[in-house]
Amino acid sequence: MSAPARLRIVGGAVHDPANGIDGEVRDICIESGRIVSALPDGAPTLDARGMVVMPGGVDIHSHLASSSCNHARRLAPEERAADPVPAPALLDRTAPARSGTGGTVPSTFTTGYRYAGLGYTTAFDAAVAPLMARHSHAELDDTPCVDGGIFLLMGNDEYLLRQIEAGEHARARDYAAWLLGAAGGYAIKIVNPGGVEAWKTGQRNVTGLDDAIGGRKVTPRAVLEVLADAGNALRLPHPVHIHCNNLGLPGNAATTLASMEALQGRRAHFTHLQFHCYGGEPGKGWSSASAKVIEYVYTHPEVSTDVGQVMFGPAMTITADAPVEYLLYQSSGRRWTNIDIELETGCGIVPLAFKEKAAVAALQWAIGLELFLLSEDPWRVVLSTDHPNGGSFLSYPALIQLLMDRSVRDERLKQVNPRLLAGSALADGLSREYTLNEIAIVTRAGPARLLGLRDKGHLGPGADADITIYNRDPDIATMFSTPRYVIKDGTVIVEEGQLRRAPAGRRLRVAPGYDDAIVPDLRRYFEAYSSVSFGNYPVAGLPGEPVAP
Amino acid sequence: MSGSSVVERVTCLGCGCTCDDVAVEVRDGRIVGVTPPCPVGRAWFGDGSIPEHVLVSGSAAPIEAAITEAARLLVESAGELLVYLGPDVSAQAQRAAVALADRLRAAVDSATSEPAAAGLLAAQRRGRAAATLGEIRNRADVLMFWGVDPTQRYPRYLSRYALEPAGTHVPAGRAGRRVISVSIGTDRGPTGADVALEVAPEDELAALSVMRATALGHRLGELPERLGAVPDTALQLTTARYAVLVHEAELSAVPRSPHRTEGLIALTQALNGVTRAALSSLRAGGNRSGAESVLTWQTGFPMSVDFSGGFPRYSPGSRGLERLRGGGFAAVLIVGSAAELAGELEARRAPVHAVVIGPRASEAPLTARVAIDTGVAGIHEGGTAYRMDEVPLPLRPPLPGARSTAETLGALLLEVRARLAERSG
Repeated sequence: MSAPARLRIVGGAVHDPANGIDGEVRDICIESGRIVSALPDGAPTLDARGMVVMPGGVDIHSHLASSSCNHARRLAPEERAADPVPAPALLDRTAPARSGTGGTVPSTFTTGYRYAGLGYTTAFDAAVAPLMARHSHAELDDTPCVDGGIFLLMGNDEYLLRQIEAGEHARARDYAAWLLGAAGGYAIKIVNPGGVEAWKTGQRNVTGLDDAIGGRKVTPRAVLEVLADAGNALRLPHPVHIHCNNLGLPGNAATTLASMEALQGRRAHFTHLQFHCYGGEPGKGWSSASAKVIEYVYTHPEVSTDVGQVMFGPAMTITADAPVEYLLYQSSGRRWTNIDIELETGCGIVPLAFKEKAAVAALQWAIGLELFLLSEDPWRVVLSTDHPNGGSFLSYPALIQLLMDRSVRDERLKQVNPRLLAGSALADGLSREYTLNEIAIVTRAGPARLLGLRDKGHLGPGADADITIYNRDPDIATMFSTPRYVIKDGTVIVEEGQLRRAPAGRRLRVAPGYDDAIVPDLRRYFEAYSSVSFGNYPVAGLPGEPVAP
Repeated sequence: MSGSSVVERVTCLGCGCTCDDVAVEVRDGRIVGVTPPCPVGRAWFGDGSIPEHVLVSGSAAPIEAAITEAARLLVESAGELLVYLGPDVSAQAQRAAVALADRLRAAVDSATSEPAAAGLLAAQRRGRAAATLGEIRNRADVLMFWGVDPTQRYPRYLSRYALEPAGTHVPAGRAGRRVISVSIGTDRGPTGADVALEVAPEDELAALSVMRATALGHRLGELPERLGAVPDTALQLTTARYAVLVHEAELSAVPRSPHRTEGLIALTQALNGVTRAALSSLRAGGNRSGAESVLTWQTGFPMSVDFSGGFPRYSPGSRGLERLRGGGFAAVLIVGSAAELAGELEARRAPVHAVVIGPRASEAPLTARVAIDTGVAGIHEGGTAYRMDEVPLPLRPPLPGARSTAETLGALLLEVRARLAERSG
């Protein structure tokens, strides 16, 4: 059976918040991979009566296809040995079904299949060293079912630091544009601005926005300002994506708020906010500072965030924030991989588990939920676990259940270590329960809008026909973990809960314009300091066309 | 045709340095010059001539017939098949080969040498602290060569990456770096070092432990005289801004302790408590790191993967060649250069059916049922190859046009899938 070019999804309760549709029963029409307003009578139908219809899920921040993911896979073979995944029984003979392994960082084919099985059809890898972009694109080539893209790490880039130090902000912007095009990136990512460069020197880290980075006249504040300006000036679909300084440290909410204030009205996305909302101070204890931070977010429409929820269970911490991983290595005594990546960034990996009986993990869990439950604008506070850092993407259904079902949440709260929860909003009792429409916002409509994906996250005419159809179930986690149908670009890939087709996803990338005058300077810089020839650095032959600004 | 042309920025897979700045001069379809004149690179490029035969049972055959016969044999041997990833193929060809192994429930293994495999296992127990080669060039102010002089096997390692060039944080180049040369028995460190240390092979692990203890700030009791110079050497590392430890990850003439790499990893990790440090593992050429990378992203494991259960199973304790030696397979599909494997096959008593798809397949010293000559990745075929530090680089073949390994495997995969589908009805 080949996928019909036309399909009418009949009788489902549609949640399409971008178009103001909240559970209304209506038909959704598909033609040639896109949503259309109507189809002629007699078009094939899919009976969705009694079911819930939403756009396909969009993961705004994940680690799924990168050299760091591959280092993490390699570091913990026992995880993958414990989670073997035979090839799915696909009906589609064009793409061979592949076996794989799971764990916190599944093999590539399994990653694609599992995202699809969860009703997600788009995912971004949020931390790719431009030097390793060629590797990420190869992994994405082997990650079916999802449209994918990569964010490029720039917050510790040697060339950028030099331009900022010299006051050459226009050249910094041209460099960011060149890099995005050369490496096939979608957005600018900043991780611990200046802190990773400091880690590679004797300084080891920066502690605040006005520290000098590695003895230069450049500060994290300047890095934030220049790159946020670059992202906005280049009219990138997604603004600069920021992982703040001091991740995971008590008292870091002050740094987070200072970073937001530093940008003074510039558009910016602050990622895995939960890891940056701690009160207290180093050595003297922890507390929740979620209320203060989320209040700032609500009152500043230029700011958006994803939560980075911690879910109890195994996790794999993978980040370019290498100094943080060193601290985790010291405190956990576990295995530790560190890779310094020339001129650009770092990479640190430590396998971890979040245990409900551990006071700090319980606080982190509570803070994430507080951010969701105190958020007054779900469009700007969207769902992530920073997969696999706070937990696997497979835990999204359990997270959705915590948001939608207070009784489940309260039961869970009773089981966690309460030591650091005194005074936290969650412990004081938050009665809010997310509606299906709000879930549709934080898992698809919101991320798509923040990413500037005009054809995703909604079901209006012209949208990509990426659609997820759920059976209603009183157990919310069951409902969201087993969609009945998933449709990708108009092709039914999950039928009756089974993956049946696994088409290749599309590549989402940008190629903004820049002033060619930068090229001779860049060539000299590469010749002086890079181990890769300037002409060999760009990734050639990427699939599809860049997204227009 | 006369006159020559020069192809710039060619990536050389002669060794794991994978230099991508090579200029290759071509005249009349032959390579006549390689610049810079690295002996390993020159030998690897040769004149670029390769056989272009397609053989079935030793006789010339059309490519379609060879693919059909190969598919028939492989499908017949499904479940008792080894897919072996040899050197000199692109990551694209490796991906296709692993796809075949998955479909055929084969075991798949690679040219990852035993010492390199021991290093991978050590890194799975401990993790590791490493850096890309450019980072070494830009930051290393102290380099410790542990029982290796890269000059012979990795001729441009010192001039291009580690020692001589100026870097962002080492503007003076060689003059800004301190070199510690450690010799362990016959595993000699480089000459011309600032500090030289002799360690007896039986003292190697003890020396690494003493260095690690020093890095961790542990107070050491009195040491035997033969280890007396070790703590001072360790202090040279702890007082570095960025220390790089260099070791040979491949086979050397004399077998060495399988725990060497683990000791070096542990030392490097400990050094990161007081300064910054990275371990540089010297790997052979031919895109071996690529095989490990591809296997890891497709299966979760870097080597020795067995699909016989219908999913990838990791069996690092029983590598593909060992099992082949023990008669564990009915057939083998060799992808890439077969030279290293030929001896294994000839030494085996029971006959094993071989399909060889790769450069010089028709000249492989073994009796292959099917042999299909393809191009050498990087000389005749494009794609991607991974450097010893796992940085992926594009291949710019100076002599394109030979039969492509990746495309041949793609055709074979289609034929295999068709046959499997037929078989399962």
